[in-house]
Amino acid sequence: MASIFQRRRNKATQVERVRERQHEGFLRYAGFRWAKISGGLCLLIILSYALVDVTPRHNGGSWYGYTLGTIGALLILWLTALGYRKRRMTSDYWSLKAWTSAHVYLGLSLIVIGTWHTGFQLGWNVHTLAWVLMMLVILSGLYGVIAYATLPAALSNNREQMTQMQMLEAIRAFDRQLHSAAQPLTPADSAAVLASLDQDPFAGGAWARLRGRYPACATAAARRTLAASQGGDTDARAKVVQLLLQKEAALARLRAHLRLRALLEIWLYVHVPLTFALIAALSAHIISVFFYW
Amino acid sequence: MSFILRRIATTKTGKQIVRDQALPGDTITLGRDSANIIHVADLAVNPHHATIASTDGRTVRVTAQEGLGFGLNGRTETVADIDSAAGGELRFGGHRLTIAREDDKIILLVERIDELSQSSKDVDEVKAFSLAGVMPGKRVGSWTFGLLMLLAFLVGPIWAWYSYKTVDERPGTLHADRSWISGPLSSAHANLTKDCQSCHVEPFVAVTDTACVNCHTGEHKAMSMAHANAPTAMLLAARAPDGGFDKFLANVGEAFNRPQGRCVDCHTEHEGAGPMAATPQKFCADCHDGMQGRLKSAGHPTMLGDAADFGTGHPEFRPLVRAAPGAKLARAAPGKGTVDYNGLKFPHDVHLQATGGVARMAASFRGRHDFGQKLECENCHRVEADGVRVKPVEMERDCAMCHSLAFETVGGVTRTLRHGEPAQVVADLTAYYRSTPPSRPLQLGGMQRRRPGAYAEGQVYNIYFNEVAVRPSRAQDAVRAVFSKGGACYDCHTIFAPAAGNNWRVAAVNQTPRYLQKGWFDHDAHKETACADCHTAAPASKTSTDLLVPGLRQCRDCHVGESGARLVKVQTATESPCAMCHEYHSDGGQPWVPNRQRKVNSAAITNKRADAMAGVSAVTGAATPGLYRVTWRTPVLHGARRGG
Repeated sequence: MASIFQRRRNKATQVERVRERQHEGFLRYAGFRWAKISGGLCLLIILSYALVDVTPRHNGGSWYGYTLGTIGALLILWLTALGYRKRRMTSDYWSLKAWTSAHVYLGLSLIVIGTWHTGFQLGWNVHTLAWVLMMLVILSGLYGVIAYATLPAALSNNREQMTQMQMLEAIRAFDRQLHSAAQPLTPADSAAVLASLDQDPFAGGAWARLRGRYPACATAAARRTLAASQGGDTDARAKVVQLLLQKEAALARLRAHLRLRALLEIWLYVHVPLTFALIAALSAHIISVFFYW
Repeated sequence: MSFILRRIATTKTGKQIVRDQALPGDTITLGRDSANIIHVADLAVNPHHATIASTDGRTVRVTAQEGLGFGLNGRTETVADIDSAAGGELRFGGHRLTIAREDDKIILLVERIDELSQSSKDVDEVKAFSLAGVMPGKRVGSWTFGLLMLLAFLVGPIWAWYSYKTVDERPGTLHADRSWISGPLSSAHANLTKDCQSCHVEPFVAVTDTACVNCHTGEHKAMSMAHANAPTAMLLAARAPDGGFDKFLANVGEAFNRPQGRCVDCHTEHEGAGPMAATPQKFCADCHDGMQGRLKSAGHPTMLGDAADFGTGHPEFRPLVRAAPGAKLARAAPGKGTVDYNGLKFPHDVHLQATGGVARMAASFRGRHDFGQKLECENCHRVEADGVRVKPVEMERDCAMCHSLAFETVGGVTRTLRHGEPAQVVADLTAYYRSTPPSRPLQLGGMQRRRPGAYAEGQVYNIYFNEVAVRPSRAQDAVRAVFSKGGACYDCHTIFAPAAGNNWRVAAVNQTPRYLQKGWFDHDAHKETACADCHTAAPASKTSTDLLVPGLRQCRDCHVGESGARLVKVQTATESPCAMCHEYHSDGGQPWVPNRQRKVNSAAITNKRADAMAGVSAVTGAATPGLYRVTWRTPVLHGARRGG
């Protein structure tokens, strides 16, 4: 008996190793197991919706509607539990990858469960509000999956083996060099360089981060000022301009990095708060149904 | 006077190394330029920023040189006198100049206090490189959104309910629980949209019948008469045994405080604006499908036939008939050969023939009456004003065009026998014959000699004596003639000869105004169809006892079950739920059917343009009172008992 379990465990370990080697992500986890389960669930719902005879017409208040609604509500709560699960390290039971895979695919199946639960009767009420919030959460999650699948490669390309702190350190080095190189400059020129030094490389709001455009970049402004400047120590100025160009390149890399990070993260700022708004609206939706039973 | 420049260096281990350097001269220059005595490598400092001088070796005067001042106690100054004994702190760009006095010497301490650049500051890597640095936290957003939702869509509506708990009718303003509406109300209840509590009275209690009956007073109460008188045990036995799943659903409903059998089970609401949806067939068929057997085995035998679906399972009609002359009205037993004795003799076949005497007579009356080449149904059968049923045939209106009862013309006025009053007929005829014989023509009077030719055909003698000879000499003969075979009455009526003190009698005529008491039939809704399409037996009927009410078969030529089920081939199918003909509440009125449904289906039958069908060409009678065509009347369920 024990040997059977031993063998099974060995087999499981082996499978896990193969997965690790092939770097199987959460999307293709276990040969798309959860995609198949979720797709089958959707198919089952669409078919049974067509076959089940609800009078006078399908709506959330029929036995079929209540069934779909209950499944959907429980599913929403379980999907929310990913936030709890990912903070808990476990070695056995479900791997976080399996959990995430199920989260993504079952979350997508919620489009069918939720929408078919409505019986396609939408209006200006709390019930449709819950549906809209659910759809927004799912769509933001869908964006997140796409972002996680495509952006890390771009992030890696942009980094070129540097760590985030190395990027920042490069800027600091240019700042130090600029500071000493700018000493001989005229007050006007040095003020421009000083502005570049005084600008926080992380400045700019969320919008600037997402777009990656910084029209008020002081370094670029300093370079332009110095290029147009006359008189003074020409050699020193040329050196500073060169340094400013290098700092700009370093800043561009950092900003591209920040932009990719922002694009990777922004969906969670929709996904998470709207999930809690959804749970609140869902509670109101369910309580309202029983309150005005 | 000597100034001493003090520099403090901090080693990595935190040890401070203090170096003092005596500065030459009484006036010390300070700036970014390396020619200055105190060289401050700070871009925020001007090349020749300031001079520091002391005349008495005690007070130090600091003067800014190139426009940019220096910071002193938080303010920007261009000139400042500082008592070196008291000391002072000045700011030049990112540097601090501390002036102090030690042993008659003025100590100038210059230190960098600001970071070289903004990027040189320490950062929290996790926060700085992620969006978290520039976005409000997810936690804050979650709480804010969640609480807003609960406040607006849970607390608000419950508050609205609570504040109007004791109010009969809410004011028509917007209330917070409006957001709870699950779908528009039907047009009849649309005015209740802002008053949820009119139906949802108690929280967590499913809408009760009491809420309905509060407005729907009168006999239109919770149940129909047919069902209200039935014992509960019988009603329960009639219900089809619930499958396991139905039982499960019922149990779940009970568990969630949602009992079955309420008005709203059939009259579903919040299903969209417009008229309320017709009650689906299922609610009838749940019991009536296979009910006879169930009731019998439960000890409640019934005459009611099983009905599951009009297209496939419906008992044959049982019209109200008199099975024998003078018999009481009773519903016909199911089966063929049904007869109905109404007391009249009327062969439909003779009257509807395209050729023959009747047709010729009708044709000859064209222009005078509304006749065509032959008699049509509507020449004799008139429709009631509402178009639903056909009026009983009336002799004077519907027969007398041809079947005249005239017996004499006096001065251009025709005298007719009194229809419906046999005694009066006898009296009139007796009076007529009691008078003198035909008046003698003048030519026949006196002693005047007459030529023999006057006896010829068409001459006076012939006319007069023929008259005298033909006219019965006695009134009794005339009366007998009129009531006997060949006489005016006998043709259409059953006559009883005088016997034992009785005079001539005519059998009573009873025309049934509504044959199908349990179902509703609207002739007006079928006016696009020829009479004979349904009354198929009429053109060949030889006797008036033939029951010409169409049977199930004729209806099924067009009408199929609610979901289209049928036994025969149907060209243009009209889907017919129970409620199309049967009125659950049995108030005798028309069953309620959504207008939409009627229009669509009738257009399909006639293949006419939809607007031509739906549009009413002329409105006669009272205007329809809007969408709900329900009329409240006293029940006529047992109309037969009142004599039809």
